Amino acid sequence: MKIAILGSGYVGLVVGTCFADTGNRTTCVDVDEAKINRLRRGEVPIYEPGLEELIQRNVAEGRLFFTTDLAATIRGAQVVFIAVGTPGDEDGSADLTHVLSVAETIGANMNDHKVVVLKSTVPVGTNHKVRDRIAAHTKQSFDVVSNPEFLKEGAAIDDFTKPDRVVVGCESAHARKVMEELYAPFLRTGKPLLVMDPASAEMTKYAANAMLATRISFMNEMARICEAVGADVNQVRKGIGTDVRIGFPFLFAGVGYGGSCFPKDVRALVSLAKEHGYTPHIVPAVEKVNEEQKRLLYQKVKQHFGDLAGRHFAVWGLAFKPKTDDMREAPSVALIEALLAAGATVTAFDPEANREAQRLLGDRVRFADNALAACDGADALVLVTEWSAFRHLDLDEIKARLKQRVLFDGRNIWDGERVRSQGFTYYGIGVR
Amino acid sequence: MKIAVVGTGYVGLVTGSCLSDVGMDVTCVDVDVKKIANLNKGVLPIYEPGLEDIVERNTKAGRLKFTSSLDQAVKGAEAAFIAVGTPPGEDGSADLRYVLAVAKEIGEKMTDYLVVITKSTVPVGTADKVRRELQAALQARGSKLTFDVASNPEFLKEGAAIEDFQKPDRIVCGVESERAQDVLARLYKPFTLNGHPVYFMDVKSAEMTKYAANAMLATKISFMNDIANLCELLGADVNQVRKGIGSDPRIGNRFIYPGIGYGGSCFPKDVKALVRTGHEYGYELRILQSVEAVNESQKHVLFNKVKAHFGDLKGRHFAMWGLSFKPETNDMREAPALVICEQLKAAGATVTAYDPVAMPECKHMIGDQIAYAPDAYAALTGADALLLVTEWREFRVPDWDRIRAALKQPVVFDGRNIYSGPELREMGFTYSGIGVK
Ligand SMILES: NC(=O)c1ccc[n+]([C@@H]2O[C@H](COP(=O)([O-])OP(=O)(O)OC[C@H]3O[C@@H](n4cnc5c(N)ncnc54)[C@H](O)[C@@H]3O)[C@@H](O)[C@H]2O)c1
Ligand SMILES: NC(=O)c1ccc[n+]([C@@H]2O[C@H](COP(=O)([O-])OP(=O)(O)OC[C@H]3O[C@@H](n4cnc5c(N)ncnc54)[C@H](O)[C@@H]3O)[C@@H](O)[C@H]2O)c1
Repeated sequence: MKIAILGSGYVGLVVGTCFADTGNRTTCVDVDEAKINRLRRGEVPIYEPGLEELIQRNVAEGRLFFTTDLAATIRGAQVVFIAVGTPGDEDGSADLTHVLSVAETIGANMNDHKVVVLKSTVPVGTNHKVRDRIAAHTKQSFDVVSNPEFLKEGAAIDDFTKPDRVVVGCESAHARKVMEELYAPFLRTGKPLLVMDPASAEMTKYAANAMLATRISFMNEMARICEAVGADVNQVRKGIGTDVRIGFPFLFAGVGYGGSCFPKDVRALVSLAKEHGYTPHIVPAVEKVNEEQKRLLYQKVKQHFGDLAGRHFAVWGLAFKPKTDDMREAPSVALIEALLAAGATVTAFDPEANREAQRLLGDRVRFADNALAACDGADALVLVTEWSAFRHLDLDEIKARLKQRVLFDGRNIWDGERVRSQGFTYYGIGVR
Repeated sequence: MKIAVVGTGYVGLVTGSCLSDVGMDVTCVDVDVKKIANLNKGVLPIYEPGLEDIVERNTKAGRLKFTSSLDQAVKGAEAAFIAVGTPPGEDGSADLRYVLAVAKEIGEKMTDYLVVITKSTVPVGTADKVRRELQAALQARGSKLTFDVASNPEFLKEGAAIEDFQKPDRIVCGVESERAQDVLARLYKPFTLNGHPVYFMDVKSAEMTKYAANAMLATKISFMNDIANLCELLGADVNQVRKGIGSDPRIGNRFIYPGIGYGGSCFPKDVKALVRTGHEYGYELRILQSVEAVNESQKHVLFNKVKAHFGDLKGRHFAMWGLSFKPETNDMREAPALVICEQLKAAGATVTAYDPVAMPECKHMIGDQIAYAPDAYAALTGADALLLVTEWREFRVPDWDRIRAALKQPVVFDGRNIYSGPELREMGFTYSGIGVK
């Protein structure tokens, strides 16, 4: 099939590349010329394991193309994916400017029947809005499908090619058939393609992210209580995770969720509900807990040292989670900003996100070339992102480099007992 | 192994009988003399599938005894379970009166080293209080006996209690000494042999685990109810959304069914108690507070739908299917049915209800506030609508022709989303579920 992908960010690139890889002629479009030029040179603008090779292969084999020419790409495609950004507005609602703008362009270039697929995360009701925008420009028949994306950054290719399920909100048999054909290569193991009405498909994406965010905030609250009463949240996690009705995933206490999806989608859900006259209870609480949780690590540092003016800290991990360079809404930023505001200095290290962080924080922070170097002369080491390279601590080396033996573990990846026996002061999140 | 189980309610009776069933010598104690007399006659105080057989079998074999004398029970026992009730006090905190009274009595009567195991759901820190009661009692009689306290929260569900006890997802044991760990390990060995894990941890974490588990389950329910209410306003279908998110293994498809709120003797009480614990330590548990708020308002959802459909309810008559807070139990504690009956009555409507097992219990709680029918279809006669409140299996595939014939109007309010709206509408019914089309 001939596929157009509008928007070549995280989602657009992964989706486009994977569809090319199953034999479709796929063109990825973006308004960002610099991005398209880099892609044409074979440079991938994001860090995503496995993506670069896959792009190179499909470009070389003549199935994957990059362009800034929206109109021509749309005209040449049977299936048009909308994968542009839907950032959070000031009031938390999803900003549909880009989505609706490409819908207009699609309408203006509807030279034959096309299936338009909404991949971006959009509020319930957007499917119909997009349909109206397109229809305003054309008499040609077309379908609009809601097909939310569930990939995770850092495991995006695996997630897309081996999905737990594919959600398809559509109202026409033709569109359904096209979607089934496109996804068939990824559903060979029997995972379902769930066809539903567009509103439910749109809602599914928000509900999924909201539920995952709820699990995180829930555990963070449990960690706070554990700390207060003297229990250990890691034990509690094991105790409840074994309950098959609960399950283990997403029960790790930490420094709060970040990234380009959870915070934005949770807020968008709240704002969507309010627009329709419903006051949700759970999700606003989830968000409030998360906002507080992002400040927790700073509070622990503050509590230990008192005045932070002139103190120096090593920060390990900057990306909002491991295996990505994405810094959007990263808890590390909240921590570093707070430390700097209190008059402290910071040397940070992240295996992938140093550059991205530098763009955000500028030279107010020093960036080290490796994890150990970041520790030199610091009053404490603060772990924010649980990259696997940070899991095994070379305690002797760290002892030699730190000014004081103090560890703040924002992800509970170190064994408190072990590091204490080596003379360190250890703080985790809700653990002893 | 000789075991004492103090408190012969749901948890105590199931624990005691299941332990005797694997060959232990178990004595169950209760202060309720009538309950004990009945049990000695083979009459069970609760409805629980499969329990009667086990009780009968083991009583006959002489491994399971019932008494109101604690002396007799703890004499020579290696372990004593405390399984008495911990009802919520007025401020929502767990009332430990019964637990501590039992601890004191054990201290007064014990004859050997003993592991005192709290099975009741108790706030973090209770084990310390239990220890102090025991110490004080031993000291008062100048005894030098030693003991250990342990925490072993129970995760059984009413209606599937035997299965849950015999094949647990996990067993959580909070212990403070190797000796206690050894006793508990021996005690649960028959159940862990087939692969069910025991987690030994510190006592406080074990106490916390029980609350955290119930709190998470309640959170899942309230989360879905919140989403269902929103789906309704947005024209989405929560059943589709449920399938869409449940297929994510990080979420799973368990416990994400919307409905008319959770009830029962555990979730409401345990959520309140944990919120209360938070307050005591100066921490506001926001998620749990919102979980509770959603649940309170969710109990009104079905009434609100009835009201929206009929307007003035004065003189209306309704049929209600199901009363217990969930199927397979006669437990009516905090059942949404109670709230709905109350609201309908206040609005001037009358109710005829049918429940396979919970009618006596309901009568006991609210008397003749509603009428009771001898079977499901008899409840329908002359009613303006059918309200499905508890999803008992026998309600799942009913005879719709009979229902239509018996009802004054073909209107169905489905509080558990067990029927299909499109199918019912096809048959000429007016249907409304929770967040579904
Ligand atoms: N990143 C994730 O993990 C993830 C996962 C699932 C869903 N989503 C959703 O997918 C959507 C895209 O997310 P992303 O992370 O890929 O965003 P992104 O910011 O990485 O990429 C969006 C791209 O769209 C381009 N764009 C904007 N306007 C355009 C236009 N008019 N024409 C062509 N291109 C245009 C931008 O230049 C940018 O390259 C969002 O709705 C997001 O919520 C993201
Ligand atoms: N019911 C459940 O589904 C369930 C599940 C897990 C945990 N729990 C917890 O287990 C505990 C017991 O719950 P239940 O539902 O079995 O309660 P219940 O009310 O059914 O039984 C409690 C029993 O203890 C007896 N009792 C009270 N004081 C006594 C004393 N001093 N000596 C001897 N007996 C005494 C009462 O007479 C009653 O028979 C509670 O803490 C509850 O939260 C219950």
